[in-house]
Amino acid sequence: MAQTQVQVPAKMTLFHRKRRFRLLDIITYLLLGVFLCTSLAPFIFSFFSSFKTFAHILDYPPSLFPNPWTWGNYATILRNGNFPRWLLNSFIFAGGTMIFNVLFSSMAGYALARMRFSGRRLIFLTTLAVMLIPLPITMIPKFLMVSSLGLVNTYFALLLPFMAQPFSVFIMVQFFKSLPREMEEAALIDGASYYRTFFQIILPLVKPALIAVAILSFQGAWNEFSWSLLVLNSPDMYTLPIGLLFFKGAHYTEYNLLLAGSMFNTIPLLVLFFILQRYFIRGIATVGLKG
Amino acid sequence: MPEAPTSSTSVAAYIFLSPYLILLSVFTIFAVLYGLFLSFFTVDIGISAPVFVGFRNYVTLWNQLFYSGGVGDFWIAMLNGLKFAVVVVSGQTALALLLALLLHRITFLKGVFRTIFYLPAVTSSIAISLIFIWLYTPQGFINYWLSLLHISGPRWLEDPATALFAIMLLNIWTTAPTFMLFFLGALEGIPQQFYEAAVVDGGNRSRIFWHITLPLLRPIIFLVVALGTISSFQVFDQVKIMTEGGPLQSTLTPVYEMYTTAFGDDKFGLAAAMSVLLFLIIFAITSLQRRFIDTDLQY
Repeated sequence: MAQTQVQVPAKMTLFHRKRRFRLLDIITYLLLGVFLCTSLAPFIFSFFSSFKTFAHILDYPPSLFPNPWTWGNYATILRNGNFPRWLLNSFIFAGGTMIFNVLFSSMAGYALARMRFSGRRLIFLTTLAVMLIPLPITMIPKFLMVSSLGLVNTYFALLLPFMAQPFSVFIMVQFFKSLPREMEEAALIDGASYYRTFFQIILPLVKPALIAVAILSFQGAWNEFSWSLLVLNSPDMYTLPIGLLFFKGAHYTEYNLLLAGSMFNTIPLLVLFFILQRYFIRGIATVGLKG
Repeated sequence: MPEAPTSSTSVAAYIFLSPYLILLSVFTIFAVLYGLFLSFFTVDIGISAPVFVGFRNYVTLWNQLFYSGGVGDFWIAMLNGLKFAVVVVSGQTALALLLALLLHRITFLKGVFRTIFYLPAVTSSIAISLIFIWLYTPQGFINYWLSLLHISGPRWLEDPATALFAIMLLNIWTTAPTFMLFFLGALEGIPQQFYEAAVVDGGNRSRIFWHITLPLLRPIIFLVVALGTISSFQVFDQVKIMTEGGPLQSTLTPVYEMYTTAFGDDKFGLAAAMSVLLFLIIFAITSLQRRFIDTDLQY
């Protein structure tokens, strides 16, 4: 009697706990599934709808697949002579930003993480502080500066403010700090200069960080809107986001064209993201690891 | 043991730092000071030379508080910014934390979920806005899905009562994934011993969450809330492309108001004064947040 009384509750709690675990797992995956749908649906529906005709783009109830299917929207867009040029400008802006930002922020990050000099702490704290300055605060003064230098409507004006970004410097510092000291010390003792040590020994060791900074800065510039809007003022200089804004003005309710146009801005980046996603995620997650 | 700074090291360090320091000084530090300086002038482009006017720009903005027909545009924009920040920051922080906690529980398919959740954050705000202009049309997909739940959807972007809310929802959707990654990184950084100790002490799930996980996440929660607040007050892209501040100024945001004041009305000095006030308000709010979310927790 006494034995069963002890055993039954023990068994029940065990059973109970197991069931609750399963239930919790089911709820977890169910919720994740819901968020999966909300994350994906707008892309899927707009992608397929970019092949719909003007007559069917606002059908109610809406259908997922176009009927009839048309390439006409893309043909119309490519016939607009500026579109290829906007794509090219976007690649130049994003590529240029990427190259300069990777180079400058890795150099700065190396100095801040691995060298002892006076002013180091101040510069690092300033880097953290300026990340919290709202960007639009500097929008007007920056524009007036660029304008008085006569740089408005040039690639240079577009690129300059993004060539060395504090957030990238911060990511690089975090990565450089995690490297063992021995390798660079050996190199320095062997008489290699700081510059050779940096370019030949250190940089190859932080390749994942370089890739993370590269794609984050490419993405940032590819998607950049407000600064480009201020400094670009002729259609041949527009980047894709600015082009799309004016394209929207010209085709106000032709949602079929607007959707097709937005695919040009979306798809290249999504391809890049799927190929390099672990670097994206690693770069962002550094913030969480050592906030 | 850190070695003492030597002069050759210092020279090398500053050579490495020079491009960054030059760009940072010019485009951030000098720009902030120059903006402060400009707020005491009337500045236009190509018409007349800047004129020193003292505090007149600030007085103009102050007087906008007491217009006969209600407050002026700048304060409407600030109020919209405040509403936007309250809704978006709470929404994105809660959603990001929920997603991170869910992902942290699982191993199977974790990477796939994480990748797909991050998609809205990768895509350009302009492309997303164009897509959502279409999704938000009264006969669009969003209202269709709502109708399946027997909810009759509003006219979203065309109705002053819902336009700002529509942009808020879009913003939560695009910003939560990044903060989810912040939280996930922080959750993975919590030492396992804390949980083991709690289990030995007989703590249950919810107690462990409220007494261990959440307190340990405080610094990152503050970071997320602060960054979220800062970015909420600077929302511009979506407003520019989706609503241009309308209908009836319901989506007029502080940065959009600054933009039209400077580049529409050619009043750069007044716009600079707005940016200074905006900065002070954001700074005050994030300082308050820092006091309420006690971040001095070390482990």
